[in-house]
Amino acid sequence: MSPAVIPPLAPDAPVILEMSHISKGFGAVTALVDVSIKLRQGEVLALVGDNGAGKSTLIKILSGYHQPDTGTIVSKGKQVHFNSPRDARAIGIETVYQDLALIGDLSIYHNMFMGREYHKRVLGLKLLDNKKMRDLAEVHLKTLGISIPSVNSTVDLLSGGQRQCVAVARSIYASPTILILDEPLAALGVRESAHVLGLIQSLRQQRNVSIILIVHNYNQIFEVCDRINFLHSGEIVLDAATSETSEEELIRIVKSGLGRNAVAAESAETEPGQA
Amino acid sequence: MVLATKPHPPATIGATTRRVGVKTPDSIYEKVLVILSRYREASIAVVAIILVIYFQFGSNGEFLTSQFLSVVLRDTGRLGLIAVAEVMLMITGEIDLSVSSTFSLAPYIMVLLSIDLGVPLAIGALIGVVLGVLVGVLNGIITVRFRVPSLITTVGTLFLLQGIVVWIDDSQPIVAPVEEPFNAIFGQSLYGPSDSLFSWHAITAFTPFLWTVLAVAALALVLSRTTFGLHTIATGSNIVGAREIGVRTDRIKVYNFMIAGGFAAFAGIINTAQFSSADPQAGSPFLTLQAIAAAVIGGTSLLGGSGTAIGSLIGAFVVATLNNGLVMVGAQATVSDIYLGIAILLAMILNVQVNRLRARRRI
Repeated sequence: MSPAVIPPLAPDAPVILEMSHISKGFGAVTALVDVSIKLRQGEVLALVGDNGAGKSTLIKILSGYHQPDTGTIVSKGKQVHFNSPRDARAIGIETVYQDLALIGDLSIYHNMFMGREYHKRVLGLKLLDNKKMRDLAEVHLKTLGISIPSVNSTVDLLSGGQRQCVAVARSIYASPTILILDEPLAALGVRESAHVLGLIQSLRQQRNVSIILIVHNYNQIFEVCDRINFLHSGEIVLDAATSETSEEELIRIVKSGLGRNAVAAESAETEPGQA
Repeated sequence: MVLATKPHPPATIGATTRRVGVKTPDSIYEKVLVILSRYREASIAVVAIILVIYFQFGSNGEFLTSQFLSVVLRDTGRLGLIAVAEVMLMITGEIDLSVSSTFSLAPYIMVLLSIDLGVPLAIGALIGVVLGVLVGVLNGIITVRFRVPSLITTVGTLFLLQGIVVWIDDSQPIVAPVEEPFNAIFGQSLYGPSDSLFSWHAITAFTPFLWTVLAVAALALVLSRTTFGLHTIATGSNIVGAREIGVRTDRIKVYNFMIAGGFAAFAGIINTAQFSSADPQAGSPFLTLQAIAAAVIGGTSLLGGSGTAIGSLIGAFVVATLNNGLVMVGAQATVSDIYLGIAILLAMILNVQVNRLRARRRI
């Protein structure tokens, strides 16, 4: 795949989302401690960290699935409060969860329009407009170059990769302002991975949707992301533009579990001369 | 069955020209299962037709008479109304075992109101249905708020309500007043041998069944053509995913408990109108179990996520046909339970096999 030329993010791109001082615990378990993240218009932000670092909890707070214990979310200058994922979706925050949130017993097109169904009036009754949803789903998938046997088939007949594609397609259907992708490449083969990465790149190129991406493969981060937030044990230990950091630095932080300055100080002490 | 116990060979990839991904069924057994999974209602309808033919010949043509059919359809109606309400709930992954006590309570209240306070039956019936819906709210709230499995919640409310209805008047059945047109609309006594086919009484003798058909049609429409139906399936199929995408799963469950309660009350009221008697013991837990069996025979999954309203009506017809037909061809009344038990077991095995097949077609 020829690498698309991605112009750098404009330095004056406005901040469209700010999560400040978010903390969240589940009973005895503390998942997040005073986490703050900022997202600018059109930016692709990578959220990285080890298993159990709190990445999924953080994005589930942003998607409205969890409610934070403390902290605020400000979107486009207005403080927002999400009681459910409906509220987040209503203001244009779409999420592709790790488990994809697809309904196996329902058709692809019903999944595609879950929560934003089209209706028609028949004898005064508000019934689903299945034909419209079927047609729109078909066109949308075709536009994205996603090949599935038929939009009528139920999701549990799809392969893991096809499901992932359907979930991603659903999330960008309504042109969200913020798109959250929790390990969108987890179940994908090389070719499908490239396809989804290409999709992210083309969204990034247009710079009208901001993306929060959780990925484990550091190569892919440097390929598609503008900035990296490193989450460790419920805290942000690194916030840097991808151009200002390197894979080696990430790996050092993963190993030590300390912040950037601490790691830099430590390596300066013990291994002088080694970059 | 030998076929069922034999492990199926794993899907081979690339060995033939078969496309990777979708496994095509190879044995006849699998092909039959595929057809069954696609046309669940059709397969149970075939069973129903075979049963009717069998009993028609076995009883020397006595089965398909208006008089006998009115008995079968009365039972089908009563069972079907509860079965179809359970279908909605079972699709969400929950179950209501308390419907039998609602079935007794609602008409009992209706008749008491009529006798003691002179409340018209129609108003009393409305109050009874509202009561049933409130029982559903109680079941639903306890299940989703306090996280008690519905199997336990509704066993609790089953005894609670049964206790209340027996306590009200010392377990005495009351003769229900007859009011027209209420009884003509909601149920008259059975078709008599002297009734001519198009007499008023003959037609009204079938109204309970017609109400059930109407209810089934309504719920079938709700299930397949409304957002509520879609979200009901989503809730039972993948509750975490449904929540993540914004389906209000708790609310959906409570609404379906309310439907179950309301339908059970309505079924009880029709039953009382038909027999002109409100019996505190009218609904036994046995009735609930038969209704659940009817739903399962009709193709509804016990695991949630899939089910059919029309299937449950045919399932109810099969159960009612077995119950009555076996007696008619000379079997002891006690023996019919053996056949019913076998039918339920076969339906469950089929149900699980079909689901497993669906699961195996996944990658």
